Amino acid sequence: MKIRFWGVRGSFAMCGKEFLRYGGNTSSIELVSDDGGRLLIDLGTGATEYAKTLMATEFGQGKGKLAVLLTHTHLDHIQGLPFFTPFFIKGNQLRILGADPAGSTLKGTLQNQLAPHYSPLNGLENLAAGVSIESFLPGTELTIDEFEITTAAVPHGTMWTTAFRIKADDKVVTVLSDVEYPAPHRPTREAFALAAGADLLVHDAMHDDAAYAMARGWGHSPVSAGVHLAGAAGVGKLALFHHSPDATDAAIDAIVEAAQARTSIPVMAAAEGTYHEI
Amino acid sequence: MEITFWGVRGSYPVPGRATIRYGGQTSCVEVRTSSGSSLIVDAGTGLRALGQKLAREGVQRRHHILLSHVHWDHIQGLPFFEPAYISGNTVEVYALLTAADELQQVIGGITRHEFFPVPLEAVPAEINFHEVDPGLPMLVEGVTILPFALNHPFGSVGYRLDADGTSVAYVSDTAPFTDVLHKQHFLSGLETLTDEDRRVLADMRAALVKSLKGCDTVIYDTHFLPEEYARFPHYGHSTPDQALEVVAGNDVRRLILYHHAPSHTDDQMDEMAARYKEKGAAVGVDVITACEGMVLTVGPKAAAGAS
Repeated sequence: MKIRFWGVRGSFAMCGKEFLRYGGNTSSIELVSDDGGRLLIDLGTGATEYAKTLMATEFGQGKGKLAVLLTHTHLDHIQGLPFFTPFFIKGNQLRILGADPAGSTLKGTLQNQLAPHYSPLNGLENLAAGVSIESFLPGTELTIDEFEITTAAVPHGTMWTTAFRIKADDKVVTVLSDVEYPAPHRPTREAFALAAGADLLVHDAMHDDAAYAMARGWGHSPVSAGVHLAGAAGVGKLALFHHSPDATDAAIDAIVEAAQARTSIPVMAAAEGTYHEI
Repeated sequence: MEITFWGVRGSYPVPGRATIRYGGQTSCVEVRTSSGSSLIVDAGTGLRALGQKLAREGVQRRHHILLSHVHWDHIQGLPFFEPAYISGNTVEVYALLTAADELQQVIGGITRHEFFPVPLEAVPAEINFHEVDPGLPMLVEGVTILPFALNHPFGSVGYRLDADGTSVAYVSDTAPFTDVLHKQHFLSGLETLTDEDRRVLADMRAALVKSLKGCDTVIYDTHFLPEEYARFPHYGHSTPDQALEVVAGNDVRRLILYHHAPSHTDDQMDEMAARYKEKGAAVGVDVITACEGMVLTVGPKAAAGAS
């Protein structure tokens, strides 16, 4: 299994020279199995870049097939949806799977994103590909092609998001984005179970530890939360993810260096642009 | 009067190497008068950096944001506008009411808990909504503002701002007034225009031309190159040629190409900028292609210094 980050930024897409190495696009992660099966997690602006490469393949002819998992529907995780070009080609088989937000439904929320006030698409029904929107309860096990997926709800400020443990080709990737534990060193049981023994843990690292003091309760982790969980759960590698929009390339370099000094587990900062073998 | 471009892109923000010079953030322009007060036109992703600057300065406590319409690329910066998170500040938002819903409901709707963690109603600043009426001028911070209707899905307005004895107009987003009349339904392609549609389009164009007459600087939605427009005439955007056609012979000194397609790279933009500089010169209009961070002086002083 391979992983590629198409968007690694939290909250807000950042443009400019200071954000070129790690990338300024918001959340979007691609997984590719050894047989070439694909799975996408989140539709931040990074997904629009991914869409361009897909359009050069069978998706351009309306013969593509892709499932997209959503961690949640905050804008930085769905803002690429109206510009994900495979949705506009009839024949593509596209699914969006996610949990229903509190008091709402996944379909209703995405429909609202495309409401005529906000988008000229005027609703999901105008996506020519005919996207299937599928809600699941966190805790559900999903099988999508060769990907076996365990899901769980994890705390995110006053709400929760869905985290994933994804297995394919005997490798495991865990994605814990947009999560804040009761305390940085006290992950929830669900988060721990998803991360246990994973080959790669992708973890929310929105705040460096100093900045976290000011941001407690906002729903994101300090870097040390991912470092701690990686060690406790015995993962093979840690990828810091969902970088603060204010973190320049130089700031992220420093964050990785400081994190690596505190653990023997290899630490990287998720960056746009290359496939990593897991 | 001075204008600063904080976001010049259409549709969605495009980070990366290909957009470093022209910028990747979406629609947002700051207009500052000689008295120091500033007005903001559109609240795309460019608004975040502008808000940080305004909060840092801490001088202005009452902020005015004129919205052309409420498509995401024009409002997405609003929840990230730092002055809204400062108690004692006021944010006045002006927009066109396009349906029965209240403005507060539509604009506040982007901060529903499904989309954003902090609801607009919960921010410390006071937020007020004002409905604009095309053709009816408003006076805000000593600036006379004339809203006018544009041709865009679900409705859109442009604004002419007069202050300091000069004027700037913001014309984005709009399709030209020939091929399609945008209403409040989805278009998968062009529809046949009725005689009534043609009359409405002609009136809209005439009102726009009249509103722009004698304007020093006109900022215009030129999302598409002609060959792109030919493929997507129903998307609600114009080409630089169509913009030039509206301003030429209308006593407009300068045209700013704006709301660039997200697919346009810096190199393509350079080419477009050079091509339309020449085309503009041929009809007596100074054509400038907007880039993020660009600051322009509007008015007699600028005219005197112009080549």
